Order: sequence, then C-alpha cells, then structure tokens
Amino acid sequence: MRLSRLQVKLIERIAATIPLTLAVALAAFVLMRAIPGDPVDIMMGEGASSSGEEVAALRTQLGLDEPIYRQLSGYLKGLLRGDLGYSIIRSRPVAEMIWEALPATIELAVYAMLFALALGIPVGVVSALKHNTAFDRVSTAVSFVGVSLPAFWLGIVGILVFSMTLGWMPTSGRIPYGLEPRHITGFLTLDALLTGNMPALGSALRHLCLPAVTLGLGVAAVVARVTRSSMLDVLGSDYVLFARAKGVPEPAVTIRHALRNAMIPTVTLVGLQFGSLLGGNMIVETIFGWPGLGRVVVDAIFARDYPVVQASVMVYALTFVMVNLITDLLYTVLDPKIALQ
Amino acid sequence: MSMKYRWMTAISIGLLLACTAVSLPVAGSGPSKALSVIVDTTADRSDEAQAIVEYLRDVGVSAEVRVWEWSALKERILAGGRQMYLTDWGSAYFDPFDLAVPKLKTGDRGNYSFYSNPRFDAALDAALGTIDAEARRQAYFEAQEILWADVPWVFGYSLLEIEAAQADVLDWQPSMDSRMNLHDVGLKRGDTIVVGMAADGILTLDPAAYRDRATETVIRNMFDGLVTRTVDGRVVSEIAESWSVVSDTEYVFNIRRGIKFHNGDALTADDVVFSFDRVIRDGAMGGRTSPRKGLLGPLAAVEKVDSHTVKFELSSPFPVLLQALVHVQIVPMNYVLNVGDDGFARKPVGCGPFKFVEGRLDDKVVMERFDGYYGGSSDLKPVGPARVKRAIFRMMPDPTVRVAAMKTGEVHIIQTVPAHLAASLARDRNLQVKSAEGTRVYCIEMNCARAPFDDVRVRMAMNHAVDWDTILKTIYVDGATRLATAFLPSGFGYNAELAPYTYDPSKARALLAEAGYGGR
Amino acid sequence: MGQASLRTDELYQGTLARSANIPVLSPAGRAGRAHGARAGLWPRLMSHRGGRLGLIIVLAYVAVAVAAPVLAPHPPGAVNLAGRLTPPAIGTGNLLGTDQLGRDILSRIMHGARVSMLVGLATVSISAAVGVGLGMVAGYYGGALGRVLARFTELLLAFPYLIFVIGAMSVMGPGFWNLVWALSFKGWVEFYRLSRALVMSEKNREYVEAARVLGRSDSVICVREILPNIVSSILVLGTLRMGNMIVMESSLSFLGLGIPPRMPAWGSMINDGRRYMLTSPWVATFPGLALALLVLGMNLLGEGLRDVLDPKMMEG
Repeated sequence: MRLSRLQVKLIERIAATIPLTLAVALAAFVLMRAIPGDPVDIMMGEGASSSGEEVAALRTQLGLDEPIYRQLSGYLKGLLRGDLGYSIIRSRPVAEMIWEALPATIELAVYAMLFALALGIPVGVVSALKHNTAFDRVSTAVSFVGVSLPAFWLGIVGILVFSMTLGWMPTSGRIPYGLEPRHITGFLTLDALLTGNMPALGSALRHLCLPAVTLGLGVAAVVARVTRSSMLDVLGSDYVLFARAKGVPEPAVTIRHALRNAMIPTVTLVGLQFGSLLGGNMIVETIFGWPGLGRVVVDAIFARDYPVVQASVMVYALTFVMVNLITDLLYTVLDPKIALQ
Repeated sequence: MSMKYRWMTAISIGLLLACTAVSLPVAGSGPSKALSVIVDTTADRSDEAQAIVEYLRDVGVSAEVRVWEWSALKERILAGGRQMYLTDWGSAYFDPFDLAVPKLKTGDRGNYSFYSNPRFDAALDAALGTIDAEARRQAYFEAQEILWADVPWVFGYSLLEIEAAQADVLDWQPSMDSRMNLHDVGLKRGDTIVVGMAADGILTLDPAAYRDRATETVIRNMFDGLVTRTVDGRVVSEIAESWSVVSDTEYVFNIRRGIKFHNGDALTADDVVFSFDRVIRDGAMGGRTSPRKGLLGPLAAVEKVDSHTVKFELSSPFPVLLQALVHVQIVPMNYVLNVGDDGFARKPVGCGPFKFVEGRLDDKVVMERFDGYYGGSSDLKPVGPARVKRAIFRMMPDPTVRVAAMKTGEVHIIQTVPAHLAASLARDRNLQVKSAEGTRVYCIEMNCARAPFDDVRVRMAMNHAVDWDTILKTIYVDGATRLATAFLPSGFGYNAELAPYTYDPSKARALLAEAGYGGR
Repeated sequence: MGQASLRTDELYQGTLARSANIPVLSPAGRAGRAHGARAGLWPRLMSHRGGRLGLIIVLAYVAVAVAAPVLAPHPPGAVNLAGRLTPPAIGTGNLLGTDQLGRDILSRIMHGARVSMLVGLATVSISAAVGVGLGMVAGYYGGALGRVLARFTELLLAFPYLIFVIGAMSVMGPGFWNLVWALSFKGWVEFYRLSRALVMSEKNREYVEAARVLGRSDSVICVREILPNIVSSILVLGTLRMGNMIVMESSLSFLGLGIPPRMPAWGSMINDGRRYMLTSPWVATFPGLALALLVLGMNLLGEGLRDVLDPKMMEG
C-alpha cells in the first residue's frame, strides 16, 4: 500500500524539523557563549564581597569551567536524552520553567491572531468589494498606521485609556488569585470552558483583551492588506466572472467563490505571522506582566542563564516550524488543486 | 539598465550618503589635547547620562553617551577597556562592609574603578578588624577623607525608595532594607493584600539559594531570622530572644521558646545550626554551595549549646555579624532533610507570619496567614499573628503599569515608584505615598588605572563639572540625597561633616588646563 | 524533500509578495514589460493618487531631514533641565513641548528624521544588496548553494529574532552601525526569497534564452538582462520594509539597545517618552505620529510603484 503524496510530504516535513531544531539549538549555544558576561558573577550580585575561590567553586559546580566543546557535547547529549538542563540562576529544571510559561504565551498569541483575523479579514473583504471608495482609503491608511506603531507604545496607551480612564480592563496579569479554573491544559480560557467556570472565563478574557489587541493590531493590518489584494485578484478572475454570468447571486459569488480562494494567501500568512507573534511577544509580556515564555527568555538572556535561553529558543523554533506545517496542510485543504497535483 | 531604475538607484544612494554625512557626529578636530570621553550607562540612567554629558561638554570635554546592556558593559569595564561609567551598588548591612569594601578596596570584586590606595585599604581593615565601635568610626572617618581627596569616582547620590499604597492600607511604612513587612500591615476593608513587585520575577523560594533583593522581599514574609531590623535599620531580636558577645570572635544566642514552623515542628537549636550550616558549608545544598556563603564573611561554625542556645564562632572579628544575621532565614531541619532541597524550594516551610500557598516565581506568589505564628519581634509592634488573612506578591516589571494598577486599585502596595510619578500619586486622595532613605549608591566610576583618569586633577575636575543638585532636583524630582563620598548616611561611620564637591565649571576648566587638557 | 521545500518556498514567496503587495507578475504582464516600451514612470506615478501622495509625504520628510539645521528652532541636543516636560503650546518657542531633559521635541523630530530614515535606508540597502545578490545566484544556479541557503534562511526564520538581536548587540556593543548590522542580519532573507523566486521564473524566458544564444556570460545575463526586470519588485519591497526597520529600532530602544542617545532618533524618543506617558503624553506621542506618517507615506509610495510598474494590477 503506497502512502499518499500528502502523507509522504507530511513525513518529510516532520523529519526535516529535526535537523533544523538541532541547528537552532547549536546556534543558540554559540550565540550565548559569544555574549560577554558571566552567569555566576550575575548570580553573586552585589553586596558583601565574595572570595575568588567561592566564585570559582560555584563555576565548577555548574560545569562552566569546562572547555566549550565539552559543554557543547554535554548539552547535545542531554538534548538527545530529552534533558533540557538546569537553570543556573533559578536552580530548577528548565523543562519545568518552560512548561509553566508556554501555555500563557501560546494562549496570548492565539488570541492575538484571532483578533487579527476577526478584524483583518472583514476589513480586507469590504475594502476589496468597495475598493477605491472612502472606506477603502481610510482602512488602508489606518492599517498602515497600525503596522507602524510600536507595541510598547500601543500597550501603554491601551492601559491609559481602557484601564485607567475607562476602567474596562485590568492593567496586567492573566487572572486574579482565587478565580483560576482547575488546571487541565494551562490555557485559562480553555480550562474555564472545560470546567464550565464562567466567571473565570470572563476574567481571563478581560485580562487577555489589551495584550492580545496590542500584539495583534500589526498583524490585523497585514491580514487586511493581504485579504484585500487577493480578493481583488480573485474578483477579477475568469471563474468569478463566469459565476456572475451564470447568474449566481452576488453574496454567493463573494463568499462561496471569491472568499474561499482569496483565503489561501491569508492562511499562509497566518503561519508566518504566528511565528512573529510568538517571537515578538517579549515586549508585550513585559508591559502587561504576562507570565509567559517571552519574559522567561528575556530575563534569562540578561542573566546569562545559558540553558534557559537555549531551550526557549528551541521551543520557539519548534513552534514556528509546527505552525508552518499546519498552515501548509491547511493550504492543501483549501486548494484541492494542489493535493491532486 | 533603463533610465528609470538609474534615477531611483541614484536617489537611494544619494539619500543614503546625504543622511550619513549629516547625521553622524563629526570627529572632533580641536586643539591637540582636548579631553574626549565616552560615558557608558545602562538604559535606566540614560536621561541622567545625557545631562551629565552636556555638563562635561560645557567645560570643554568632548563627551558622548553609550547605552549598554549591563552584563556586556561590566565585562568590558573589568577588562579595563572603558573610561567612565554610571554604576550603582546596593548595601544591605548598613555598614561600608558591603559597599566601600567591595567597591574600592584594592582588587576587590566590585572595584570597577581600579582604585588602589594602601592607606585606604588599611583604614578599612582597621574598621573591620575590631568590634570597638569608636575605633571603627575613627577608621571609617579616615577612609572617607582619603576618598574625598582621591576622588576615584564622580561621587553621586542615593535615591529615595518611594512606595505607594491604597489609603485603606493601615500602618504601612516602607523600610530601608526593601523589606515588605506585611505582618504589621492591616487593611480597612478586605482580607487579602496584593503587592506589586518591581521585578520580573523572583529566583527561588529557598532562603539559601539567592542573592537578590526581590527574592528576599518575598521570602522574609514566610521566614524569620535570628534578628531583624526596624524600618530605619536598627537590629532587634526576632527568633533569638537575646544574645551575648563572649569575645570578638564568639557570640551566644538564646532562642525563643515555643516557636513553631508552618508544618507544626518546633524550632530548636538544631534548626538554627542546620540553617547556618547549609549556607556556610561547601556543597551543603545537595552538592551545591549556597551563593549566600560570602555574605557571612568569617563565620566559621555554629554550634548547639543546648536545645535553645547556639554559639557562633568566627575565624576573625566580624563587627557586622548582627547586620548579616538579619539576612539568614531559619529553615526546618527535618522537613528539608525529608523533602530534599528541590522539594523544599517547591513547597517551602518557614516560621514566618505567612505560609506558602502557591506561586509561580515570574507571576505571583500567594501566602496565607500562619495562625500559629509566635508573634515576631517584640520590638516591632504589633506582636501576634499577621493582621491580613492572605498576601499576594505580583511581579510587575513595568513601572508605568505598576502605577496604573495602583490607580485602578488592582494592587494595594507597589514598590519603586518612579520619582516623576510620585507627585501624581500623592495628589490622589485614595492613595498614600511614602519613602525611605535608599541604601544604594549611584555614581560615575572612572578607570583610575588609565589616562586621563589616572590624574587626580582630571577626576576632581569631573566632580566639579557635574551639577548634581540640578539633576537631582529635576530628573529625580528631589527624590535623592547627594553623597560626598562612597559612604551612605544610613551606614555606620558616616561623616556628615564632609561636604560634596560643589558645581564649579570654571574650577573644573582650570583643573583640566592644569592637567594639560585645553578646552575646545 | 526537495520538492516539498520548493513548494513551501513558493508559498512563502507568494505570501510575502502579497503581504507587502509586491508585484509578482503574471506571465502576461511580464511579457508586456520585458524590454518593452513604456510610458514614462514619472507621469504615471504622478497620476496615481496614492503614489503621488506617498511621494509627496516622503519627499517632505527628506526635505525636513536635509533642512533640519535651518528649520529646527533649537539645537536637538540642547538640554535645559529647568524647562523639562513643558507641554506643547503656541508662542512658547516649544511648539510640541519639551522632553524629559528640556529638549525641544519639534527640533528633535526634525533631526531625528535624518537618523531614523538613515536607519531604514541603511538596513534596507544592506539587506537588499546581500539578499538580491545571493538570491540571484541561488535562483540562477540552484544546486548546492541554493540548498545550503535554503536551510540557512529556514534557520534564521525559526530563530527568535529579538533574542538574536539582543545577543548580537551585547557582542558588538552599542553603536549606530552595529545596530544597522544587527537589523540587517535577518532583513536580507525576504529579499533573498523574493529575488530567488523571481530569477527562477525569469531565467527560462525568451529574452534570457536569446542572450544565452548570443553567447553572453552568466554574470552579464544576470546583471544586464534579469536584474532590470526584477528590480522594480525589489524596490517596492524595499520601500515597504523601511518603515518596519524604523519600528524595529524603537523596539530595541525599549530593551535598552537602541541608537546612542545623543543622536535623536524617533524610536528612542518614543521609548524615552513611554516612561512619562502618564504625566506628559506628548513626549512619546509626537515622534510616534511622525513615524506613523512616514510609514504611511512609504507604503503609499510602494503601492503606487507597484501599480504603476505592474499594469495588470493597476486599479481603477
């Protein structure tokens, strides 16, 4: 029994992630060792003087005085065993820290993406249908401005307006203590839904609002642009003209024929942008005190906590690759021509 | 290539060149020996650094600012490759022991200015070699005079620690050692107090595994030490009922009876011995050595005398022992041995006013009142169980957001209010703003080992060139105390007679000219 | 594997082009353009409403940047601590107010135009030079180099960029050109992917075949025949990326790794002002508006160029 093309492709793609992840791990290792600064020195901080011996002993305990190639081989061996190492500064397993932080980051990215799609697609479609009208021009201008506002500025303005002045949303955090739903997946909104805990769901969503909008606004602008231009493409294509000629009612033309085809580039874009959402969340997480991976990694890089940075970078890379894989699959579903090729 | 691409390319390249030409600072081409320095800083002091650079330019120094990430800058400083750098150093012992000594003693680990003066070193040694307070004071006074004359730094200031709280938080007072003593605090309404911490996260919940202040601020609500401090830095008893100084290398502490840990174990001399042993013995934490070992200086051994008496033996006199003991928290021996070091950090048990409930170190740590609390230091009122039922520490690294959360009422107390926001909080009738004298010295260090700052006249000129009073009045909105040397007013042996260098640009210019540096 | 990744590449390229609204020309459109006669670009751009507006905005910025020393009411670095955080007002000499060091915000925005546009221009130029060069080689020859570069670009895309930049800035230390290099390090990937895909489809076209038959060398074909046909797409991508780079610079300022502070740059101005948002919102808002308007202009210009250069996609 032969595997279908799709299956072969899937297996190839999954297999291809392994060398990529290893390469990313290696790159992270090299980058971290190249950066000046010493985790032990940072850990010892200020205050009373510590003797040189004390610092040296600590370095030995942490294996930081071994030659680089030994450290690298130890790190890679650990990886192959699935061991991400031990945080130098926080003295706890890195895997534990990442598992703790990852759901918060993914949840934020997903909601940011949902917001971007919910805003971007309708705006893009309407701009295309009414193109060259005032709506089109205004939405174009707004979306350009949306792309050009730095997230840290938007975030503060959001807090100023929606938290302090209007009092609609909390300023920071994921959920107040005591409201947390029972831990199932770590995604608060999902857990709240699964346990039917409506107050928790409401609170989690309210906390998500500002950070997700801050993070997603730039993406919404890009989504709107892409949807608009691919809608314009599709609306001018032969089969839409044909459908119209056949007398298919206009809404049906728009939705069944045009939108479905126009969605293909948008879906691909989602994959690419999801990666940048994950990678760009560090600033938003810092502002909103969001306990996610972005803050873990920024903290770790400034503290030279090598194992934490290396592992987080790998997790980012893996997530990015996986999202793109899923996007490609979706692409195949949306465009049957490709699957049949 | 067709024409249109040519003009596009030409425009792009032309633009690039034009921008390059006009925007980059042109290298100075003044007199042969104009002093030219790069002032390094971290992002948090970039405003101040820019003002300083303008003052230096006023006296004919061609100065520029570079903003660095601290660890990267420090490594370059230690390699001797930088000239002038804005740095700061915190002191926890209310004594130059953890400030002037690590920062300025020859070859010590915080000595980024490469300052070396045998007379100064001798004065510090003298101050730390005895427990005779008057002799120590004399020695520190001498050290300050030497520093004042040698000016290894551009001496700076210490910042007030400004904190804010909701108006319905009762009996709240910020303390100089960053302690957030929630035991003494009450609430007019509600029973849960939420604190907004000025930190990305804390490092651990194990009192032997960290060296940063944020972690200590949280942990000290769950753990007590033998002694503690009043908000203004006086050492008073806590777990220890009393103590006696047998000799300058031997102390005996009597432990209060009836103290219970959160798990019900009674606190005895064994727990005290175990707690100190865990810090000072190499490899005592599952093979690792506590990073806090250096904080206890020459403490050689802690021995049990009887079930409620312990003896401290020092290898040399350690006049700041009591200050140091404030920072060592007592842990339950049997529990730690049972669950192991990792298990202990996951589920810490202490004898402090609050017991651990749950927490994520970079999000929030939740504690609940420990009803079996022995009451705490009898010198700090009130004595008894904590007044609030629950305490939550939330990590809020962004200062603007912390202030916003204060205004919206999401938190009850916040740490480290930026000076320029303090006034707007103080105007709010629902809030209270208080401050405590800071224990951190901010200054500009110079590389004294290399030209031009190996010349004391140049260093002195720098001290006369910077108008600190204006900087502190404006950028820090009066929330700072000017310092004459590297000694803090709150620390032992501070000489209040010594006046800071005055702002005197013409004197600075004259000193520079004397050292052979002409103006531009 | 080869085929799978090829398709992903095409997918990326198509999406990339759309997200930036790059003309990925249909064969029909291209046939009309290749070495064909065209009406002057200038009049056509000027008759394109968005393109004209974009061009006017961008030229206005350039004019302000060039004339900043004359136009700016104050020197951009003139610290005046006594007059810090003055609100914007007409007739006080500080139309847009002053910042936390008492410097005139209007003057700093004008001078900042130079630095910020230079950041954009320099990073985009470097990215384009590297990306297009490699992209053309990889697209024309394919083979081992193409495969190696494909893997390398995948690695770059998968590696979180901000972490890379923080690391790179720590290694190199602060400085204007160090920042430009760090920003360009990943910026070239887009140009690489775009130009590679364009070259791959161009290289089998008749005019290239003709040049080959005439015995032209590969390098001549690439530079003289293919490059002119793809340069417009690259130019459009470049226009559109400039704004992103300026925004990126401001994000680095947030992490304390921006441009040296004596050079006024919008990114660092926005970030400095962020701390004063609660009390003096104008400090961050005006440079933010200046940045947003420039990005708008750049994008309008880019779109205009796209429409003008690609008749098929011309609207209206």
